Amino acid sequence: MLRKIIYKEFKSYFRNLNSIFLPLIFFFLIISIFPLLIGPDKNLLNKIIPGIVWITVIFTTLLSSSNFFKDEYNNGFIETYLTSETSLELILFLKIILCWIFTCLPIIFFIPIVSIFFDIPLKNSFVILFTLIIGSPILVSIGIFGSSLTLGIPKNNVLVPVITLPFYIPILIFSASAIESVSSGLPYEMQLYILTALLCFVLPIMPYLLKYTLTLSINN
Amino acid sequence: MEEVLNNLEISIDRASCFKGNNMIFENISYSVKNSEMMLIMGPNGCGKTTFIKSICGIQKLESGSIKLNSIDINSDSSEHLNNILYIGHKNSLNNDLTVFENLEYLCAFDKSVDSIPEQEIKKSLEYFGIAKFKDYLVSKISEGNKKKTSLARLLLSKKKIWLLDEPLSFIDSEGNVKILDLFNKHITNGGLIILSSHIDISKDVTNTKKYYMGNS
Repeated sequence: MLRKIIYKEFKSYFRNLNSIFLPLIFFFLIISIFPLLIGPDKNLLNKIIPGIVWITVIFTTLLSSSNFFKDEYNNGFIETYLTSETSLELILFLKIILCWIFTCLPIIFFIPIVSIFFDIPLKNSFVILFTLIIGSPILVSIGIFGSSLTLGIPKNNVLVPVITLPFYIPILIFSASAIESVSSGLPYEMQLYILTALLCFVLPIMPYLLKYTLTLSINN
Repeated sequence: MEEVLNNLEISIDRASCFKGNNMIFENISYSVKNSEMMLIMGPNGCGKTTFIKSICGIQKLESGSIKLNSIDINSDSSEHLNNILYIGHKNSLNNDLTVFENLEYLCAFDKSVDSIPEQEIKKSLEYFGIAKFKDYLVSKISEGNKKKTSLARLLLSKKKIWLLDEPLSFIDSEGNVKILDLFNKHITNGGLIILSSHIDISKDVTNTKKYYMGNS
């Protein structure tokens, strides 16, 4: 059964190739526009590129997760999820992971190349990579939660960022401080541990929260 | 795997439902047993869909109760969900998948279906005369064929209780006959059907109980 669900999700993602390429293109556009606007100051770019990478990750996760359940809400699949005897929590967990694979993982793959472009030291680029690997699943699951909260409301595009961005801030603070620490030679492990703790807290409870909000969306 | 119940009775006791401050339906008391069909009729917007959703257990009631074999459906939802097959008026078909893939995917959610129902899916599509659309994307086929695709689940599932919301809309007369045939077969096999429709099919299906919902 799980195999079927994963297979289907992969298939529908690959039939909608723009959902995979949109984050990547967005990412490369922003990354390449910044040096053009700011000028080729290596020290300055070295300093701001990690932040820009994080900004693009935030916006791409917002873009892809704000309409996450919309299709399934419109074609009535959420009712089918709720009336099927299989574990909905497990399905939702899988869907979060798959959404992360298709929106954030492509960007994470390109981080080493971006680091070479901007001459970021190896140790720093590793820390950027780690903060992204740990932080982006949290961003995706919070974004999906926001989209499930606004399902019953037509034209909800503005609402999702407003709801989710405050929850993004702790993750941003800790990843920014980890990157800051490593570039000034300070220990950065503590921030990574806190991010991991946040991930371990958010990811397991998210399917249960989502199940509850989906039930609410059907009831309203 | 839990065994499928042979004797089924859904009893609805003074059920009322509100959405916000709007009353959707009030004080519905009714009961259906196996080998019976409950046909819910009524004008648009009288709450038929909400009523069927509340029998599924996904719509909360304001007051009253719905019981399956005298057990409240909300207290033992897994037992209830093992027995019901709900097909809403939105077809729950994914536009990016083909007709065949959609049915395969929907079967993954239905524990009463065998593991690889490839042959059965083909047979059920042939029954409704849409076998040639098997590999079409759902977004490319007509509304009626989408409806037939979602109703093909009736042939695949072995569940006893069918909860159908407007199964006859968009369907041509030939398809209508086939669906009514299916209902008759299910009723004679001891199944239970609750469906909403704007067409009075009480004469075409045996053991039909009609229920009119008024505008509230």
